[in-house]
Amino acid sequence: MSEEIEKKIYRGRIKVPYKHTAGAYVERFITEIGKNNKIMGVKCPKCGKVYVPPKMICFTCFEKMEEWVEVGKQGTVKGFTVVTHSTPVMPLEPPYAYGIITLDGADTDFVHLINESDPKKLKIGMRVEAVFKEKPRKRILDIEYFKAI
Amino acid sequence: MSRKKGQEKIFEIKWKTDLPYRYSIGKLAVKFFEELKKNKKIYGSKCPKCGKVNFPPRAVCADCFVEMTLSDMVELPPKGTLEGFTVVNYPFVDPQTGGMRPFPYGYALLKLDGADTYTMHFVNETDYTKLKVGQRVEAVFKEEREGNMGDIPYFKVIKEEE
Amino acid sequence: MDHFEGINFSEMWCGIESAPGYLKPVVKVATGGTTGSSLAICGYYNVASGIYKNILVIGWEKLNEGGATTGIITAFDPVWERPSLAGALGPLALMAGMYSAKYGITPEQAAKVTVKNRSNAANNPFAHLQMPNITIDYVMSSQMISYPLRLHDVCPQSEGACAIIYANEEETKKITDNPAWVKSVATSHYYTFGTDDKMYDLPTATMASKKVYKKAGIKDPIRDLDVAEIYEPTSWSELAWTEALGFAEPGQGGKLLDEGITQMSGELPVNPSGGVLSTNPIGATALVRVAEAAIQVMGRGEKRQIPDVETALAMGFGGSLWTELLILGKEKLR
Repeated sequence: MSEEIEKKIYRGRIKVPYKHTAGAYVERFITEIGKNNKIMGVKCPKCGKVYVPPKMICFTCFEKMEEWVEVGKQGTVKGFTVVTHSTPVMPLEPPYAYGIITLDGADTDFVHLINESDPKKLKIGMRVEAVFKEKPRKRILDIEYFKAI
Repeated sequence: MSRKKGQEKIFEIKWKTDLPYRYSIGKLAVKFFEELKKNKKIYGSKCPKCGKVNFPPRAVCADCFVEMTLSDMVELPPKGTLEGFTVVNYPFVDPQTGGMRPFPYGYALLKLDGADTYTMHFVNETDYTKLKVGQRVEAVFKEEREGNMGDIPYFKVIKEEE
Repeated sequence: MDHFEGINFSEMWCGIESAPGYLKPVVKVATGGTTGSSLAICGYYNVASGIYKNILVIGWEKLNEGGATTGIITAFDPVWERPSLAGALGPLALMAGMYSAKYGITPEQAAKVTVKNRSNAANNPFAHLQMPNITIDYVMSSQMISYPLRLHDVCPQSEGACAIIYANEEETKKITDNPAWVKSVATSHYYTFGTDDKMYDLPTATMASKKVYKKAGIKDPIRDLDVAEIYEPTSWSELAWTEALGFAEPGQGGKLLDEGITQMSGELPVNPSGGVLSTNPIGATALVRVAEAAIQVMGRGEKRQIPDVETALAMGFGGSLWTELLILGKEKLR
């Protein structure tokens, strides 16, 4: 960048600590992943749809969902991309893949990381399995990533 | 938020946002910071239509909507008057650093001599009983200047012989 | 608001998932402190224009999750303002100091505002700080946090939400036989840059009140309004801004309170809910003013009800010191 342009730029940062009270459903979901390596969903009493991650209210029936069901650690990739561009706020060093995954037994899709960075080795319909973090930190990355199987 | 005894612990996910950004300051501010760094001089901008002098320098007159250019920049003396003041005496996270902003600190709305608008800045007085509206102040310049607002770390309270 | 809780796209969280607004048009309105009044005015426009029949308007805030001061600093100019700005309280302290220096307003007069509002809050089951036995001495001996503001001269950080249903005339009949009608609304802005003026007398409140009174046919606010819910982030601001709204001459806000006019039993009670000094979930705060004004008009205020309210004023303040006002009434504007 030229010196002339550089002079016109103020480089700053916004650094703010936050805490998020995620609610009882997220608490149970994340705690089961960390403690028991189980992935839990909730089932709508009316339409039977299983939501993973769990939601309190069924989007289509507006029913409160209270039945917890364990879903599979394995699932099917519905879509994917490989991130090759780097920005300062990425969860991993590129390249890495993101997938839309439907876990076995779930009716909703779930977005997570896939540890495969070669787009040739990824395809829609491929099977993946959750790899859990050894030391859970109470967040969604307690499923460290999904691996191809 | 304080939690009463016996109340269950709320599940919280904690994180710290750290977002870098680049902010375009505009050509008038470029000139302001150049003069500040090289010559210890303070420049404002003067509306070519109504003559209102803006400090901080603004690119458009708020009253006339006339654009001001580099040739409309005027030098202002480093002295001014406190129009309002307070002593900030409470803890908070400064989003510029992610850490606590040091306190107490004197904080003022001041007007440079010759300017028609106001500016907010630090004042080197933390005893509010020693400050008053109308108090004279003078900009303090850093010796090693970098061309940012840190070059004027604060305004100091001065006494003037009339 | 997004910069307080650190969640962007909050309309998705609040509007779709929690509300729930699935398959419905959801619009986010965020204008800083005025968010609630902007929501209220947008709700009114959406229904009054004939675009929608029924609208649910929600304002919310969870200040426990972030920090108001930290978030507010990020809203200001990174070069000129962020380095020294101390959130909203720093500038509010400057304004209070300039106002008291100009008119000789005393800390006792300011403390009386807190005493009035927090004891009113004891009648409001939704208020955050309910202090039925609060005294002037208690306020004046609290810690000086930003001269001339002491701890109890300023609003708390609250968590909370507020919701209002807007409906057109036809739909209203199906919902209630005792609605509050929106009679007039106004938004006023004033300056272009943050430090163009001193602003301690809130010129935007004067500008907005002239507009809103004219539209609603109010000639003398003390006589023609029955109750006002105003947005007072500090005790000093209620004094200054009741003047700006035309309730008293400049510098006479303290006298207005001393004479008891703004008390629960006065001619024009201000903030029977306890106001912002008692409860401040920022994104909901100004909507709470509107909801409380509506509650007074509908006669549903229970212990905080002012008798025979026909006309009520609600105020939002925020952002770059701008003002939004709504006048609600028992009768439709003809």
